[in-house]
Amino acid sequence: MLNKIIEKSRIKSPWIYHINAGSCNGCDIELIALLGPRFDVERFGVKLTGTPKHADIVFVTGPVTAQTKDRVLRVISQVPDPKVIVSLGSCPMSCNVFKGSYSVVGPLNKWVPVDVSIGGCAPKPEAIIDGLIKALEILKDKRGGKI
Amino acid sequence: MEVLKTLLLQIFYVLIFPGFLFCFIFGMFLSGIDRKMVARMQRRIGPPVMQPFYDFFKLVGKDHIVPRKASKRAFLAAPIFGLISIVLIALFIPVFGFSFQKSTADIIVILYLITIPALSLVFGGSSSGSPFASIGISREMVTMLSYELPLVMIFLAIGKKAGVFINGNVTFSLADINKYQSLSGIMISKWALIPAAIAFLLIIPAEVGTVPFDVAEAETEICEGPLVEYSGLYLGIYKLTQAVKMFIMGSLFIALFFGGNGFSNVFLNIILMIIGVIITIVLSVSFVRSILGRLKVEQTLKFFWTIPTALSAISLILVYLKY
Repeated sequence: MLNKIIEKSRIKSPWIYHINAGSCNGCDIELIALLGPRFDVERFGVKLTGTPKHADIVFVTGPVTAQTKDRVLRVISQVPDPKVIVSLGSCPMSCNVFKGSYSVVGPLNKWVPVDVSIGGCAPKPEAIIDGLIKALEILKDKRGGKI
Repeated sequence: MEVLKTLLLQIFYVLIFPGFLFCFIFGMFLSGIDRKMVARMQRRIGPPVMQPFYDFFKLVGKDHIVPRKASKRAFLAAPIFGLISIVLIALFIPVFGFSFQKSTADIIVILYLITIPALSLVFGGSSSGSPFASIGISREMVTMLSYELPLVMIFLAIGKKAGVFINGNVTFSLADINKYQSLSGIMISKWALIPAAIAFLLIIPAEVGTVPFDVAEAETEICEGPLVEYSGLYLGIYKLTQAVKMFIMGSLFIALFFGGNGFSNVFLNIILMIIGVIITIVLSVSFVRSILGRLKVEQTLKFFWTIPTALSAISLILVYLKY
């Protein structure tokens, strides 16, 4: 009984946490635009949390720079299971225009298992909502298990 | 047989009706209504009213992490103390003349119990060993300091008003206050106490910890303050405590200012109480939350020690001058 309720509520209340791994701030603005009146993802129960300990879904933006790599790994390891890691924008997917730079050690999936990748520079809010729904399906499958 | 019956009734009071189950369900619904109202006022669709239930059960199903630097026992015990003390207050608040516990000085007990959730936040935050939490608890203590003074003055003003009528002295019993209101009209109709009612409405958001006065849990600057290291079930208990606190403050407002006889039926009285609490919370929490930004710590202290303190002092003086 309790397990059933927990299974049902897990996909209804995804709390997201946002990590900036050397992003240009474009994707970050698009992510914040989701919470406004126009797209309003709070209707799915999404809440932007201030600390990784409360989060279910982690959004990573930016090509992973040498400075931020350790911090990104440390923050992601602090998110309690079950968690889903979403890469937002072209930068964490392929390093985008920063590929080959001496200070960039990306892409993100070299370091952590990425569940959903949302392309675009910067991705449209509709695309981010689509990625969020896909992330919810993955969250449903993961349940309490480890990655 | 009589002893057994009283015992069973007490267990029912603690666990089911004004106690844990009712507080859990109604507090969560109140929190959901608040979120929905704020969303509608900002022209959003907003989360479903059931959203706090989903949040709570999701948090129950999640892992919880105890930091290595934390002192484990204090870290895990603090949220439970906060929840128990806030639920116990529900036993002392009468529902239109029907009181669950008869005592001569329940306002003093309520004043003590109402500080314990804030103290448990301080206790849990300080035992987590996080620098963000230490900033958060210092802010939480300043907020506590700022709203306690006007709250005590409001209680004194109401106690004097009712006590002069009943036995010529200040009364600290909610049952006496209710008796006064049923004999000579609700408390809000006495114009000397209208400033106190406004001050009480201003205190509710600070007590609950919502937006204009939520410096302690500012998630954008200090990562939710004392809650920064909490996760899973224990975070859920804190969220539940906050929701129940909303219900307690609302029903305290109704009991103090809109008491009296109500209907003759207990169930109708309970429904009237629930509607009153919802209206109070929407007025004092949701409206304020949707139009204002967050104040700084020193601004919170300055605000509470000027406007609500002045309002409650006016009421206190007027009541002592027998107006």
